[in-house]
Amino acid sequence: MIQKKICILGASGVGKTSLIKQYVEGIFSEKYLTSIGVKIDKKIVDLSSEKVQLMIWDIEGIDRYCGFQAKYLRGASAFIIVTDRTRSQSLIEGNEIFNMAKEVADIPGILALNKKDLPTTWHWSDSELADIKHPFAKSFDTSAKSGEGVEEMFSYIAKILTE
Amino acid sequence: MDTSLFHDLGLLDCVIFKRIEPTKYEVLYNAQDWLFELLPETKSQKSFRFAQNSLYLEDFLIDAEALWISKQPGSVDSGIWSETLPSRELLQLEASAMVCNQQEYLVIHKLKDKFTQKQQTLQIARELLLSNDKITEQHEHLHAQMDELLSQSERTKAFQQPIINALEQTDLGVAILDSNLQLVKGNPALQTLFNDTHIALKLPVDRLILELFKKQYPEYDRVFSTRSAWTGELCWLNPPEQGKWLKVAIHPIKNADQALQYWMFSVSDVTQIKFLLKRNEKLTHFDVLTDLPNRQYFWQQLENKIKKNRPFYLLYIDIKNFKRINEVHGHLIGDQLIKDLAKRLQSVTRVDDYIARIGGTEFAIIMETDYFRKQFASTDQGQCKTFVQELIRASELPFYLESGSQCEIGLNVGASAFPTDSNDAEELMKYADLAVFAAKKQVKSSLEFYSKKLVDASLKRIEMEDALQKAVTNKQFELFLQPIIDISSSKIVKAETLIRWRLSDGSIIAPDEFIPLAEQTGLIVPIGKWVIAEACRFLNELKKTHQEIKLSVNLSPRQVADRQLLDFIKTTLTQQDISPELLELELTEGVLIDNYDKVHYLLTELRTLGISVSIDDFGTGYSSLSYLQKLPIDHIKIDRSFTMSIQDNEQDQGGNSAIILAVIAMAKSLKLGVIAEGVETDSQKEFLLRNQCHIAQGYLFSRPLPFNEFCKLLNTKN
Ligand SMILES: Nc1nc2c(ncn2[C@@H]2O[C@H](COP(=O)(O)OP(=O)(O)OP(=O)(O)O)[C@@H](O)[C@H]2O)c(=O)[nH]1
Ligand SMILES: [Mg+2]
Repeated sequence: MIQKKICILGASGVGKTSLIKQYVEGIFSEKYLTSIGVKIDKKIVDLSSEKVQLMIWDIEGIDRYCGFQAKYLRGASAFIIVTDRTRSQSLIEGNEIFNMAKEVADIPGILALNKKDLPTTWHWSDSELADIKHPFAKSFDTSAKSGEGVEEMFSYIAKILTE
Repeated sequence: MDTSLFHDLGLLDCVIFKRIEPTKYEVLYNAQDWLFELLPETKSQKSFRFAQNSLYLEDFLIDAEALWISKQPGSVDSGIWSETLPSRELLQLEASAMVCNQQEYLVIHKLKDKFTQKQQTLQIARELLLSNDKITEQHEHLHAQMDELLSQSERTKAFQQPIINALEQTDLGVAILDSNLQLVKGNPALQTLFNDTHIALKLPVDRLILELFKKQYPEYDRVFSTRSAWTGELCWLNPPEQGKWLKVAIHPIKNADQALQYWMFSVSDVTQIKFLLKRNEKLTHFDVLTDLPNRQYFWQQLENKIKKNRPFYLLYIDIKNFKRINEVHGHLIGDQLIKDLAKRLQSVTRVDDYIARIGGTEFAIIMETDYFRKQFASTDQGQCKTFVQELIRASELPFYLESGSQCEIGLNVGASAFPTDSNDAEELMKYADLAVFAAKKQVKSSLEFYSKKLVDASLKRIEMEDALQKAVTNKQFELFLQPIIDISSSKIVKAETLIRWRLSDGSIIAPDEFIPLAEQTGLIVPIGKWVIAEACRFLNELKKTHQEIKLSVNLSPRQVADRQLLDFIKTTLTQQDISPELLELELTEGVLIDNYDKVHYLLTELRTLGISVSIDDFGTGYSSLSYLQKLPIDHIKIDRSFTMSIQDNEQDQGGNSAIILAVIAMAKSLKLGVIAEGVETDSQKEFLLRNQCHIAQGYLFSRPLPFNEFCKLLNTKN
C-alpha cells in the first residue's frame, strides 16, 4: 500500500489538531490544548482504485513562540494550511506560512478555512479572498466541530496524490 | 551512588542505543517498559534495525546519520514529538544523536516535567495571544467601519442609520466624542461594561475612561493635542471587590480635509485575560516574546530607581515605521524582528542599566549616569548620546530574514533626565514620551532630549498644523505656474504648477515650509487634490482661449499611496473636459523606490489613461537604471543643484557636468525626455544647448507666475 506524508500547518488555535481528530477518530472537543512539537496519525483511505495510507503530521502552531521549521516538510507529498474564519490574522499568517513552505517544498498546498460552524468575523472582500486562495491547489470550508468538509478535504488529497 | 534518585528526578528516563553500523543498533541502556511497547524490534536480539514503528524517529535518523557520518563530536536534537502506545498511553519524547569518543549514539528521552512546564506556559501564552488578537481585530474592524461612515457625516447629533446599526451590532463598548471630548453617542455595550459589578458608578462611563486614562498614562495630553491614535490597557479598581482591566483604543476620526470630526473610544473588558496571566508568575512581569520585563514591572523599577536618588536618564525607544515592516514582511517576521532587536538592545546595555518592553513596538531603558556626581554636568548628555548611538548602530545593522531578504530598523529615542527634568516617575515618562514624539518627525533614527524648547517647538508645530488645517478648509492656497521652455526656439512647451499658501495678512508661505508638515499630517491628500483640481481648471481656461499647453503637478509619497487618487484624477479630467495628454505628474526618486509596487501599478494605469510622468529632482536620490527601465516614465528632470554647478569656465566644473552629461546620455538611450531645472545664467543655457538638452526651466526664463500673468507671457512668447 502506498504511503503519503501530509503536513498540517497554520497559526496556533486554528483547529489543526481538531481537524485531524475529527478525521481520524470522529471526535471533537471544545477544550483547547495547544500542541507541542509533532504528532503523527495514520489513516487509510479507500479510493475506488486503490488504498492509500495517509501519514498526517500535526505540527505545533506557527506563531511568535514557535517558528516555521522547514525540516518537517521533508518527504511530504502535500501540506494543508489551516486558518480560522473567526480570526483574520490567521489568514494573513497562513499566507506567510504558505510562502515559506513553497520555498522548501514543491508540493501541492491546500487551504482549509476552518470553524465554518461559527459566524465569520473576518472582513475580506470576495476578491481579496480569491487572491489569497489563488496559489493553493484547492481550498475547503471546514468545521472540525460538525465535520463539514473534513472527509472531503482528505479524500481530495488522497486522490490527487495517487493520480 | 543509588541510581534510584536519578530515576526519581527523571534524569534516567531515557534509552540509549549505540549505532554499530549504518541502520544497525544495539540497546545500551534501557530501564523502561515503554521502549518495548514503542519499538518491539528492540526486544529480543542483541542488535536491531528500526521497523517503521516510529515514523518521526526514523525521519530524524536522516539528520542523525548526517552527523554520525561526519564523525564530528557533537549532537543534534529531534525536537519534541508525541507517540500513542498500543496501551493508549501518550508519550512525549525527544531524541538526540551524538558522536562521542568516536562512537555514535542515539538517546531517546521521555519528557515529563519539562514537557508539562513548556505546555502550560505556551498554553497560557497562546490563549492570551488568541484573545488579544480577537479583541484587536474587533477594534480595528470598528475603526475602519467608522472611518468610512463618520468621516462623511456632517457634524450633527443625529447619526444616520448605518452608524447606529454598526454601533449596536458590535460587542465593544463605543463612545463617540466631539472634538472637545463631549459625548455625542454611546452604544448599549458601553453601558453594560460595568453591569456585572453591582456598583453604581459615580461617573458616566465615557468620563470614567477619560479619567482613568489621564491618571494612568502620562501621554494623555500629548495624544489629544496632537490628535494621535492610542491603544492601551486601563485598570479600574473597585475595592473591596475585584476591579476590571479594560482595553481601550482611542481613534481620531477625520473628514476628507483631515479635520478632526470625532474621537472614538472603543472599550473591551480584558479582566479575564489578565486573570489568566496571573496564573503564571513569569507572565505577570515579563513579556513573552522578548523575555524582557513588561510595562507594569518597569514602572516598579522606575519608582525604585527614583528612591535610590542617583541621576539617570529615562530613554523611551520606539521602532520607526514598524507598521510598514509588518506590511511588507508579514507579522511573523515582524515579531521575530522585535525579538532580535530586543537581544541587540540588551547586548548594548550595561549591567546597571535596566531595559523593558513597554508596548508593542516600544522599549524603555533606565540609563545610570556616573554615580559620583550629584548634579548633571554638560558631558552627561554626551554620555547619553554615545549610548544611544550604540543602540541605534546595533539596530541599524541589517537583520537577515528567513526568506533570504534583509531588513533594517530605525529607532526614535526620547530622553528625560532624573532629577534635572523631574523627580517624579510619571512626569519623567511623560517627558520622554514627548521627546520621542519629536524624534519621530526625523526621517532618520534620532535622539531628542526633553527640554522647554522641545515643548515650545511642539506647541508651535501644533499651531502651525491648526493653521494649515484651516487653510485647507478655507482653501487659502494659490497655484502658480512656472514655464518650461524649449531653449532652441524660446517657446513655452509646458508649465509646472507650484503651490503657495497665502495667509490672511496677504503674506505668502513657500511650499518647502509647509509641504513636509502636510505630508506628515496627511493634509497633503486634500491639498494635493486641490492642486490637481485647480490645474485642471486652468487647463479648461486655457482651452477656452485656445492656448492649450501641458501642465505638470507634483505628487507626494502619501498621495501615491492614496487609493482614491486615480479615480479622483479621472473624474476631475472628465468634469473639466480635459484631455489626459495635457496633464503630467511629477514624482521624486525617493517615492519610486519606497513604494515600488504601488508606483508601478499607478504609473501603468496613468500610461493607459494617456497621462505622462516625469521624475523630479533626478540625481539626488538613488534610483538605478533598472528602476527607470522597468517603470513607464516619460521624462526626467535634472535637479537644480547640478544645473547650478555649471559655471562660466567649462574647465573647472569638476564632476557635476560629467553627471549632467551622463544623465542626458542615459535618458537618450532609454528614450526619455530630459528637462534641466534651475537654469539661471546664460552660460548654463549655452551648455545645455551644446549638449542636446533643449528643455529647461528656471529664473533665467521666468519665475513662477500667477495664472493671469502666465497667460500673458504665453500669449507673447508662443
Ligand atoms: N467551533 C469550532 N471550534 C473549533 C473548530 N476547530 C477547532 N476548534 C476549537 O479551536 C480551539 C483550538 O483547536 P486546536 O485543534 O487545538 O487548534 P490547533 O490549530 O491544533 O492549535 P495549536 O496546536 O495550538 O497550534 C479548540 O478550542 C477547538 O475546540 C471548529 O471547526 N469549530
Ligand atoms: Mg494542535
